[in-house]
Amino acid sequence: MSLLAVDNLRVTFPSDQGPVEVVRGLSFALGRERLGIVGESGSGKSMTGRAIMGLIGAPGRVTADRLEFEGRDLRNLPEWEFRKLRGARMSMVLQDPKFSLNPVIRIGDQIAEALEFHTQLSASARRVRVLEALEAVRIDDPERVARLYPHEVSGGMGQRVMIAMMVVMEPALMIADEPTSALDVSVRGQVLDIMDDLVRRRGMGLLLISHDLNMVARWCDRILVMYRGQIVEELGAGALNTAQHPYTLGLLASLPKLNEERATLPILDRAALDGFMAGAAR
Amino acid sequence: MIDVRNLTVRYGDTTVLHGVSLAVAEGESFALVGESGSGKSTILKALVGQVDDWQGQMTLAGHALQPGRRADLARQVQMVFQDPYGSLHPRRTVDDTLAEPLAIHGIKGRDARVLAMLDAVGLPRRFRFRLPHQLSGGQRQRVAIARALMLEPRVLLLDEPTSALDVSVQAEILNLLKGLRAEKGLTFLLVTHDLPVVSFLCDRLAVLRAGRVEEAAAVATLRAAGLRSAYGRELLERSGLV
Amino acid sequence: MSAHEMNLRDWLTSDDPETRMQARLGQGFRLARALARNPLAMVGLVVIVALLLIAAFAPWLAPFSPTEGVLANRLQPPSATHWMGTDELGRDILSRVIHGTRITLMIVVLVAVIAAPLGLIMGAVAGYFGGWVDRLLMGFTDIFLSLPRLILALAFVAALGPGIENAVIAIAITAWPVYARIARAEVLTFRNAEFIAAVQMQGASSWRIIGLHVIPLCLSSTIVRVTLDMAGIILTAAGLGFLGLGAQPPLPEWGAMISRGRSFILDQWWVATMPGFAIVIVSLGFCLFGDGLRDVLDPKQRSKG
Repeated sequence: MSLLAVDNLRVTFPSDQGPVEVVRGLSFALGRERLGIVGESGSGKSMTGRAIMGLIGAPGRVTADRLEFEGRDLRNLPEWEFRKLRGARMSMVLQDPKFSLNPVIRIGDQIAEALEFHTQLSASARRVRVLEALEAVRIDDPERVARLYPHEVSGGMGQRVMIAMMVVMEPALMIADEPTSALDVSVRGQVLDIMDDLVRRRGMGLLLISHDLNMVARWCDRILVMYRGQIVEELGAGALNTAQHPYTLGLLASLPKLNEERATLPILDRAALDGFMAGAAR
Repeated sequence: MIDVRNLTVRYGDTTVLHGVSLAVAEGESFALVGESGSGKSTILKALVGQVDDWQGQMTLAGHALQPGRRADLARQVQMVFQDPYGSLHPRRTVDDTLAEPLAIHGIKGRDARVLAMLDAVGLPRRFRFRLPHQLSGGQRQRVAIARALMLEPRVLLLDEPTSALDVSVQAEILNLLKGLRAEKGLTFLLVTHDLPVVSFLCDRLAVLRAGRVEEAAAVATLRAAGLRSAYGRELLERSGLV
Repeated sequence: MSAHEMNLRDWLTSDDPETRMQARLGQGFRLARALARNPLAMVGLVVIVALLLIAAFAPWLAPFSPTEGVLANRLQPPSATHWMGTDELGRDILSRVIHGTRITLMIVVLVAVIAAPLGLIMGAVAGYFGGWVDRLLMGFTDIFLSLPRLILALAFVAALGPGIENAVIAIAITAWPVYARIARAEVLTFRNAEFIAAVQMQGASSWRIIGLHVIPLCLSSTIVRVTLDMAGIILTAAGLGFLGLGAQPPLPEWGAMISRGRSFILDQWWVATMPGFAIVIVSLGFCLFGDGLRDVLDPKQRSKG
């Protein structure tokens, strides 16, 4: 049974010009695997993650023919039930740890907060779990880090703390929205490795949302390429070279490469692309 | 064109730059590569007078710079910032933003110059009276580049000009910058952490780490993956891997 | 007719205005449209417009003289001839309330014209330069802020002598520090923004940056605050009038009218209550309109428009 099943997911926001669909009929299934969603800003990739987490508030509207997590229908789930699910069974890592951590609460206490909310563990048992979680994200001296405030740690460390916060509840599904784009290249690898390790060892499902085609390609089992709220192409691991859709090809071509000399970079022809999409839809 | 010798910058007790030296010839495109905290952006800030206290010598377009004094080099050097959302005044139209440098320097022919510049950076003329929130990230960055070029400077400082943009938009902006450099004979000093961008846009690069220049090399060396310094190799490896 | 209207609307809301004029008008139209969607703000606007109209046409609207009464008619309850009754000198209270709008409006406008720009400039300069300029200006501001407003105004009026002009000056002097504080806080949020660095690099003088780039960004929060403060200003003016330090008799200032009516509050309630109603309605009008303005002028809200 798949962990997450999504069928014909639609997210709509009202605007002056009438309702605007930012996610237009998305369907996919996620098992205990690493699935990447790639797209540019405005493709609806982040809205997809938020819709699954039940984080799209009014005036946005989420509809789907099917939206199931661990066999449970998420459509019209009341907010208090969603709250029990979020953080415990499914959790989300966001782009910038600076904005996701509360600056005036010690790191250890912030991680313990989820345990306090979702479990009946005693304070000392919570503490053990917090230190374990920090160790799991390869923090060498968890005791010291747990006592620090968020501003006292670096960006890479902050992101690891965020991940520790997510895994402390041992969720079945982790949604990571651009988890590394605020980080330096040298720490990106570490953070991805840690997430990879957790997914494999604990058998979690991971939805990695990113704009970075190459990173996702190297790192996920499957990739969904999104454009204008739709999936335009699904690719297997490391199979970027088999991409067929003009959008994927256009993206790949427009990336500068280290070992070649081009006078100009080819530019994505959006008009032709929209023509192609309209033709494909018919 | 740009000559920096022994530049040392301290913020309080921490030294951000330890005696950095680099020289950029006229018409050259030079990249400063390094991670956040390596001091690469501080060099740009020092060059445009946004750092008050520094030691060493800096010469820009033949003018020696003095610490604590903002030299009037607006017509020699301008800068393009990383964040296209924070670098445009939210209440001023594209027209206001582009005309401001002309007004400051008492340059006539506002309408013609603004329209010509819109054409040069590939922005449709109908965008002239839009506010920043009516523009996409790429369009904003074009406005920022247009603003920097209004005074026809010889040097353009580029602080991660494409890292906040989508890949397909990045290609458009990189093409635009490359074209403008060829057309106007500009000198570029580019700060980035993205080695492929350096390979596309630059002639030479310097690798910075913890406020020191680790290595300076021609871009051909970079393309052949021939950086020698330990940190240079590390960057190469990681750009390839991640 | 209808087609013409649609064209004008499209022209105003066009994303691609062709002239500077069209762009400015379009921005104004969007603001007005957003404001029109807020019913409470519209109620506030109606009150303010009514105040303006009544003040403009006071001599024609008022059925009697505001200053001359018929002693035989003193302290008449509200009736068909005297809708709000008469006061202790036999003057028609409705006529006095109508003429009082002029005084209220004058106070409000003068205070806004004096206090808002003063506070805005002080705050913008302090926030932009920072360092010792900031400490000096804000220290000065804090001295004013730390004194209770009405007491400070009282002290000024006592020193300058009672009278409507001195009351206005006193209120303005006590009102500006708030605007300075707000403007400074606002400036600090974008003081280090790149668009400020960009104009500095273009060689703009500090005064040009403050005047053309910094102050316009603080303007909307100041306008909102001034509108919300109008109620307080009217009340302070009325308070001074009540204490006999504001408008002097026989001027029909609302606060002073309440003060005179106080002696008869139990038996002739209308003498004090009618001008009280006027104060409440006008204050509320400014408050509602200010709230609506805040929603519209908030830049975060605006990006959606």
